Amino acid sequence: MTGDTHYDLETLAELAEGLLDATAAQSIRDHLAVCDPCGELLADLAAVREVLAATPTPAMPMGVALRIDQAIAAEAEKRSAEVPDDVPDGVPDWERVIAGAPWERAAEPSTSPSPEPEPEPAREPVRLGVVTDDGTIVPAKRRGTAARRRRWAIPAVASAAAASVVVGSLALYSNLTITGTTASPSATQVTQPNADIATAAVVPEESHLAATAYKVTATDFNYSDQDLRGSLSEYFAPAPIRGGGGDDDKLTRCVSKVAARAGKKPFQVDQGYYQGQEALVMLFWKDRTANKVQVRVLSPECETLRKPAQARWE
Amino acid sequence: MNSPPEIPPGAEQMARSSLSDADLLLRHIGGDPHAFSEIVKRHRDRMWAVALRTLGDADEAADAVQDAFVSAYRKAKSFRGEAAVTTWLHRIVVNACLDRMRRKSIRPVADDELIEAAERDTPIPDHTSDREVSLEVTAALKLLPPDQRAALVLVDMMGYSVEDAAQVLQVPSGTVKSRCARGRAKLAPILSHLRNRTDLTRVSSAKGAKLRDG
Repeated sequence: MTGDTHYDLETLAELAEGLLDATAAQSIRDHLAVCDPCGELLADLAAVREVLAATPTPAMPMGVALRIDQAIAAEAEKRSAEVPDDVPDGVPDWERVIAGAPWERAAEPSTSPSPEPEPEPAREPVRLGVVTDDGTIVPAKRRGTAARRRRWAIPAVASAAAASVVVGSLALYSNLTITGTTASPSATQVTQPNADIATAAVVPEESHLAATAYKVTATDFNYSDQDLRGSLSEYFAPAPIRGGGGDDDKLTRCVSKVAARAGKKPFQVDQGYYQGQEALVMLFWKDRTANKVQVRVLSPECETLRKPAQARWE
Repeated sequence: MNSPPEIPPGAEQMARSSLSDADLLLRHIGGDPHAFSEIVKRHRDRMWAVALRTLGDADEAADAVQDAFVSAYRKAKSFRGEAAVTTWLHRIVVNACLDRMRRKSIRPVADDELIEAAERDTPIPDHTSDREVSLEVTAALKLLPPDQRAALVLVDMMGYSVEDAAQVLQVPSGTVKSRCARGRAKLAPILSHLRNRTDLTRVSSAKGAKLRDG
């Protein structure tokens, strides 16, 4: 094939790459022998390879290398906390992770049952709140039998502040759909089906609350959206407290990042799961006296897993 | 190589640096906390080059390489030894890059845009420095669809064989060849003015050899 017919770059590139069948290749070669413009195009194609090969490829900048080292170190830390062989991929066994921790050993054996993986109404722990001197309600350490007997009653001695907290929380709660079992309507403001109540009793035991900016717990609780709308102290308070939030760089970094976004620090951070995936659940006071908290859910990599939403503490 | 635990850390380090990639990966799976860092140290420059050229953006490349190494760290157990560790790493990096490009849905560019770009970007050949060549090549590569770009980066820029590139990209060799051919055809009008640079051949062979030999 000679004369007026020329070949386009793509065909010539295919020829150079050996992609054409023998007949087609031969006729193009015959043409190239006599056609300068097509020869030029072929040279251009060869030049592309040369230029690409000649382009310098710089080494990885030190900053990027350090960043990657840190990311790998964080992974290594995560992995060293896991028991690789008897847990499913990527799911840390928090029971074993915390087994040897000082707070575990210090705790009385009878007061450290594992948190339930699925909330069952019948076994849901009674929420027990304590009122501190400034009138706010903070969680008591553990539920007790005395509290269980008093589940529906607000003691007459409850302070006005405590009462207003309960009312405030119920107003919120009434907007929710509850699928609980025994919705016993008792006192005017108490309509919670699952029988939990803030019990007023002045126990200044939670003084360590003020000592650190936020508490870090590590339940393995798998939160659903439903759980995160309700009253949260029962999930957070009974969990072993993981120190003051300065011992885990990655978590601390994530908390400061989220705190910057939220404009305030969380008061409680829990390492658990959100709808089956590993998650950090951070609680921020929205209005402490009104018992309102804002809930933010983040992945271990600190990505937001769901929109910030409101819930109650007690 | 089984180092007894009483060997001091320095010796441990030396022992590690003489291990093959595959042995290091096995050690990593077995719980050696430093084995993976050694793999990273060995291959990060290459992975950086691949990601930087494929994505054409340093920030994106840094994110992609970091994601890739973390992901490799996590799924080391899924490495079955059916390919070289380097191939496996390249695959993870290239896939991280392609994912990023697809997420940003970079559209393929029409031919007339390519020609326009060629006319607009033609500088005076003799004064083109290495840095300018690099910028031009980066800009030109960005005009290609991701698949062609990845193939050209591996074969023409990194100097890998078509077969190696095919393993990384998990496509037949013929597909790699045709992606390269189409990519070169699109780049030819844009980069042809660089053809007569006097030092091109020298630089290319030296660098090509270095890349191929690692």
